[in-house]
Amino acid sequence: MDKDKLFDKVMANWPLHITLFVVVMICEAINTIVIKTPVGNMLLLPMLFAMLIGLLLYLAKGVTWIGDEQSHLASNFVIIAIAPFLAKVAVTTGTQLPQVIAAGPALILQEFGNLGTIIVALPFALLLGFKREAVGMTHSIAREPNVGLIASKYGLDSPEGRGVMTTYIVGTLLGTIFIGLFAGLVGSTGILHPYALAMACGVGSGSMMAASSAALTTAFPDMAEQITAFAGTSNVLSNADGIVMTVFIGLPMCNWLYNKLEPVLGKGKHI
Amino acid sequence: MLEKFKEWLLILCISCTIVIFGNTVNTLTDANKEAWLSPLANIPGVLILLIISLIGLILAELIPQVHVSIWITLIGVLLAMPYNTVTGPFVAAEVGKIGLLPLATPILAYAGVSIGKDWIEFKKIGWRGIIVAFLVMVGTYIGSAIIAQLILKAQGII
Repeated sequence: MDKDKLFDKVMANWPLHITLFVVVMICEAINTIVIKTPVGNMLLLPMLFAMLIGLLLYLAKGVTWIGDEQSHLASNFVIIAIAPFLAKVAVTTGTQLPQVIAAGPALILQEFGNLGTIIVALPFALLLGFKREAVGMTHSIAREPNVGLIASKYGLDSPEGRGVMTTYIVGTLLGTIFIGLFAGLVGSTGILHPYALAMACGVGSGSMMAASSAALTTAFPDMAEQITAFAGTSNVLSNADGIVMTVFIGLPMCNWLYNKLEPVLGKGKHI
Repeated sequence: MLEKFKEWLLILCISCTIVIFGNTVNTLTDANKEAWLSPLANIPGVLILLIISLIGLILAELIPQVHVSIWITLIGVLLAMPYNTVTGPFVAAEVGKIGLLPLATPILAYAGVSIGKDWIEFKKIGWRGIIVAFLVMVGTYIGSAIIAQLILKAQGII
């Protein structure tokens, strides 16, 4: 998109803004729906309906005023529009600053937990028949900086490149909704403390952090301030250290584990 | 710079308008309906967030080595921290009226439209790819939570 004309494009697409205004009001009016399951509660948040309706409006043939042009415009819009949300998280972090500093060691060390993706997902990827794709898929949570890293190291046409794009695209389309539902579900089981779960919300994606931390604040309203502050701080840390962690630990560890596990688990057909 | 500033202001005004009314609808329909807030009552808090956003975006444009989310965090923390007795109480009280959920809903509505263009690529991914991608998210989430739980326990915070 021609960046110079973004202002005019935002202005010209007023039907998009009016439509989404109405969508947001309807979603807020429905408010959170709680579904009780044997393992825990699923929290259907207004933001998750809103995302789904936004996608359906794009896909609906009859909605001619929301198409490819508006989809590209919305991408640029989101990058700026997320700022007030980040500001709210920052202000809450400020009010909780003494608690955040006290929890500093946990906040910093939990960053290494992002490597959990390799331990959990790589063996399954091999069992499902993936070869080198598995390294691209599971070496990190595959947000933009990681895609850039894999692209420069292996190229996006390589198996590793196809793998990282798979996780990236699934994460983009379903990641926010999935992590929002998952955080609420794990929270309601009571196995891990809400503070610990809050610190896990920062994975380097603003919308994933929004959905997972909002699910936790809804499930534990008495701890909402602390949850927001811990989630926000961990997201800033992930933004700052994410790619360094991947370059020096994540990718080497994933390649090492691949070489150990592939001969054992990778018996399936190459797909 | 001026052209960019105009773009930011326009986009922030549109999204903040949705937040001002969304917060009212949210407070009218949540568990504590008596404590609902009128759109007028939401304006000071939303304005503070808009100003923090604008300053953060400008600083990130001038000093791009520091990511915009870090600038915004820095400004927000300095304005609201308890050691700042000048702006702290006012900023905390006004921004406290604006819920985390109503702030995120408009972003995700636009994000829903924006992911539409990835739909064709998504349809090519089989069920195996989707399962692995979900496990990637589960792994990073649970991995971080377990480490945080152990350290917080060791520190005696939980």
